[in-house]
Amino acid sequence: MSNTDEYKDIWVFTEIKDHVKVHDCALEILGKGRDLADNLGQKLVAIVLALDAEQYLPTIEEHGVDKIIYLSHIDLKHYHERIFTKLVYDLVLKHKPSIFLLPSTEAGNALAARIAFRCRTGLVSNVLDLELNSSEFGANLLLGNKPAFQGNIRAKILCPDTRPQMCTISGGTFKKKKLKKENIEIEKIDYDFDPSEIKIKIIGAPTRKDKPSATLSDAKFVLGGGHGLAIKENFQKLYKLAKYTDGQVGGTRRPILDGWMPEHLQIGISGETIFSELYLAFGISGAIQHVVGITESKTIIAINKDPTAPIFKVADYCIVADAAEVLEVLLKYYKV
Amino acid sequence: MLDIFVLIKQVPKVHDPEVDRKTGTIVREGIENIINPDDWYALELGISLKKKYGGNVTVVTMGPAQAESALREAIAMGADDGILICDNIFAYSDTLQTALVLKEVFDKIENYDLIITGTETSDSSTGQVPYQLSEALDIPLITDIFTMEIEDKCFKCQRNFGHESQNIEVDLPILIRVGRHFNEPRLISLLGIKESYYKDVKLFDFNALNCPEYIDGCNKSPTKVVKTEKFVIKRKNEFIEGNVNEKIQRLIEIMQEHRIEKIWTGVKK
Repeated sequence: MSNTDEYKDIWVFTEIKDHVKVHDCALEILGKGRDLADNLGQKLVAIVLALDAEQYLPTIEEHGVDKIIYLSHIDLKHYHERIFTKLVYDLVLKHKPSIFLLPSTEAGNALAARIAFRCRTGLVSNVLDLELNSSEFGANLLLGNKPAFQGNIRAKILCPDTRPQMCTISGGTFKKKKLKKENIEIEKIDYDFDPSEIKIKIIGAPTRKDKPSATLSDAKFVLGGGHGLAIKENFQKLYKLAKYTDGQVGGTRRPILDGWMPEHLQIGISGETIFSELYLAFGISGAIQHVVGITESKTIIAINKDPTAPIFKVADYCIVADAAEVLEVLLKYYKV
Repeated sequence: MLDIFVLIKQVPKVHDPEVDRKTGTIVREGIENIINPDDWYALELGISLKKKYGGNVTVVTMGPAQAESALREAIAMGADDGILICDNIFAYSDTLQTALVLKEVFDKIENYDLIITGTETSDSSTGQVPYQLSEALDIPLITDIFTMEIEDKCFKCQRNFGHESQNIEVDLPILIRVGRHFNEPRLISLLGIKESYYKDVKLFDFNALNCPEYIDGCNKSPTKVVKTEKFVIKRKNEFIEGNVNEKIQRLIEIMQEHRIEKIWTGVKK
């Protein structure tokens, strides 16, 4: 796509999570989108595709949007790659947004990459910050700050000549903004999709059992465990303390290999990123693969026997002590 | 018989990369190149499907001439042959340009049943190429598979998708993306290494592919990296002094400052 002047407004793919609620991450992106829209003097537009989409509009209206474009249809109950890609691409072609932001979720990542390909435009995935930048490439371009090389490097990337400028953003990166604009414009689009386009036949789709009810990325208090807890019995105390304190357990790769902890609780490069208020690292040495997943936590306390453990370099409070011993005392203290 | 293609990338082996202060790019001199760690799982799947259903595994990479060594390594593991997509004009391709070039390659190949990829590369970490190649070739991409079988040219599998675990059927050709926990990549045998030098590696360059004019990695990639910086984490690093009990006492105070309270666990939440 060319002639960048024709493109305006900031779009946010306002994803509906498991057909029950607006995804928190989408509301957070709307918060950042509001700032961008104000700075550019353009509109903030929420894009909603869902079954009974009308039920989600009041929530979205309270998060700073100027406009909502939505489609409502039974086939939009779950994210479907063919259907969502086609419908959203049609919208982009018709309305020509300058910026298009999506949550970095299973659906958001897939949709973003597909739309970017169809538009022959650039996509910066998993940005940790967004700003408007003027340089020799042009004025007021969207600059995405993205981690690379397993979190060791931050790359600043922009997309000067093609539109929309697209980014995906992880949950917890931005803050929601409670703000209701006057005269929010609402546009309903008719559902238009040819079912013969669908190539994947779904025979059955039971709810998966391996998905934890509470997710690490939403937790306010996370208790992390590593190899320094030495034995499985010690690691199990972590679950107990989590129960007593309304926390969530996570950990490094090691306790998974040791059989102490399930896969989905891994924090770091091949697992989850946490955005907690407080993170307690018990017996974690602090390999970069783990550390990249915890740096978004507000406060980090590390407990490790080894005073030279790299985890202390990234911690706010450093406690040189045996992690299992500290855990034992905390458990006694917090037990009701 | 299946025509299986596995996409791999050669990446620098770095734990703690340095940024060149003059150019703002990652220092690559003196750094060993390896097969992207995620790609081993894709290779393992390709080789095991060939053993089960018969066929041919071709390993494909795009990169400089030295990337041939990654292809030889994959062949040593059990792939049958390789394709090196290499031309100066492909250098600096972003994901869009990469997907467009790969489309030209597969249009040239014509017969393919399965194209297998890893999840993401350890250097640029975008994870976009599988989706974009799926768009380019207009074939489905199946992710997060946990069981699979192939009957005739129909692929049946169970996969996790959102909060569902779906049983699906799809006609080949398809793209499959495998995760890190999907399988255990086999080790390379000495015989495999020896044989790998006699296997065929085809070179596909710009001319061999009749590339359209919009293919130009350096000039036509829509994204521009304007700055790279080493990520530095700044934290308080306050060491809590005293004996163990004093340290724990202070820890509990900090926890209370963060409103970590005792909660009543007698009632199911």
